[in-house]
Amino acid sequence: MPQSEKPEMTLEDKVKSLTSRDRERILEVFKASLTHEYAAFLQTCAHCGLCADSCHYYLTQKDPKSIPAFKLHQITKVYKKNFDLIGRKLPTLVGAEELSNELIEEWVDTLFGRCSLCGRCGINCTMGINIPYLIRTARGALAAVGLVPPGLQSTVDTAVEKGNNMGISQEDWLETVEWLEEELQKDVGDPEAKLPLDKSGARCMYTINPREAMFFPLSITAAGKIFYAAGEDWTFSSKNYDVTNYGLYNGDDEAAGIMSGRLVQALEELNCRELILAECGHGFNSNRWEAPEWLSRRYGFPVNSILQLIADYIRTGRIKLDPARNQKTVTLHDPCNLVRLGGIVEEQRFILRHSVKNLVEMYPNREKNYCCGGGGGQLAMTRFAERRLEVGRIKADQIKATGAEVVVTPCHNCIDQLMELNKHYKLNVEIKTVSEIVANALVIQD
Amino acid sequence: MPEIEAKGQTIQLNEEGFMQNPEEWSEEAALALAKAEEDLDSLTAEHWSVIHYIREYYEEKKLAPMVRKVCKGSGLSLTRIFELFPSGPAKGACKLAGLPKPDGCV
Repeated sequence: MPQSEKPEMTLEDKVKSLTSRDRERILEVFKASLTHEYAAFLQTCAHCGLCADSCHYYLTQKDPKSIPAFKLHQITKVYKKNFDLIGRKLPTLVGAEELSNELIEEWVDTLFGRCSLCGRCGINCTMGINIPYLIRTARGALAAVGLVPPGLQSTVDTAVEKGNNMGISQEDWLETVEWLEEELQKDVGDPEAKLPLDKSGARCMYTINPREAMFFPLSITAAGKIFYAAGEDWTFSSKNYDVTNYGLYNGDDEAAGIMSGRLVQALEELNCRELILAECGHGFNSNRWEAPEWLSRRYGFPVNSILQLIADYIRTGRIKLDPARNQKTVTLHDPCNLVRLGGIVEEQRFILRHSVKNLVEMYPNREKNYCCGGGGGQLAMTRFAERRLEVGRIKADQIKATGAEVVVTPCHNCIDQLMELNKHYKLNVEIKTVSEIVANALVIQD
Repeated sequence: MPEIEAKGQTIQLNEEGFMQNPEEWSEEAALALAKAEEDLDSLTAEHWSVIHYIREYYEEKKLAPMVRKVCKGSGLSLTRIFELFPSGPAKGACKLAGLPKPDGCV
């Protein structure tokens, strides 16, 4: 449902009207999601400040409120006041503070509005504190009392209610697949080329980011073309194909479990043997790493990124690529959830070295890369849109310094932010997925 | 908060340039949005066929149409739609047709 149709009480009004019961609820949910390990982290920050220069928010804004240690302290002081012996008895001694409505307002601004959960502070922390995990946990406590900024919450709600985060009807999905199948057949010159739907027993089930079907379908045909060239045995599900999971961003484990659980159910119903995730950073992190925790179960099948599959096709000679077809200079943006937090680091580089003439790295790169600014649900939270563009300046500068004509990134969320950075900072680059680049370099063998 | 002028009226936009109140939309508003958001000084018949299709679909269903439907409804190819609206179907075409921002990774 469009946001404008929802009965609106502003987030600020909601915070002002919180009761002591609501505040207790926030603390209960927060406490319930803290493991011993993470409770220990909350006692560990040495306030060394090294994290400041790791954060794209602080580097661009120079606002002390954007220093990761400060963001963490917003949570720590509440933890100490409620769950730590000294904090309860002598709060001023350890900087403990009660969770008031004023502090909750600051939590909303800090935890949702000054963090993209990119994890760069975590790898630069001298104590090894997993700061984004703690911020996500506190976001989840706010979610329990309805304090998630509207666009982010409505994206979760739409996904839970409609089965995908853009509310695409099944009829529209099927019609789009049929249309793209015709486009694929024209492209490869084979009327038998398929985008299979509900093919029972197919080796792998592929997923997409709904924005591909809704607005940017070229990456779907590109993936279809790669599968066609490799002779892959694959299928889409007619019902559950959404790789995204904004439950990772609003911190609501129950909603997150519902979304990821649907992919598992679809795969099992179709008797597929491998779940293949589209180019989506947070979708990869959610479904590859977090979902078994949310669902409290072990998966009996592998979960891989399409990048791993494409890299395998190249290694085993299942597809043939001609880099001469991609002459423009290309640089690669590393999505935080896929690379730093997801562990898929070299596959995309291996693939691009086989599909483009000239690949230049931005600096820093791989797990040290800067966030584009669009992660953590930032794209969905209109209220923080200006900040999102402001903190994306680092990424814009990184891109400019490469002199590249094309920016490739295996994440649709990053792509949208990069498109905005392209416009705002006048970068004059093309922005593409890895699949699109590979599809363009494919030499279709008979 | 940004705003545009259309038919002598001030129209409020949100932080991302989408209309706060989609019902205030008019062709004049689309022209003002085209200038403010897509840096287009004028809109061609092709632009209008896309904008009108999206607007009519939205008024009937209160939803943004799939790009498949936009191609069919406007008679234009996908490539042409991307050329006409540099910010793409969502932040370009749907925005100019006065739709609210869609949910999801946009």
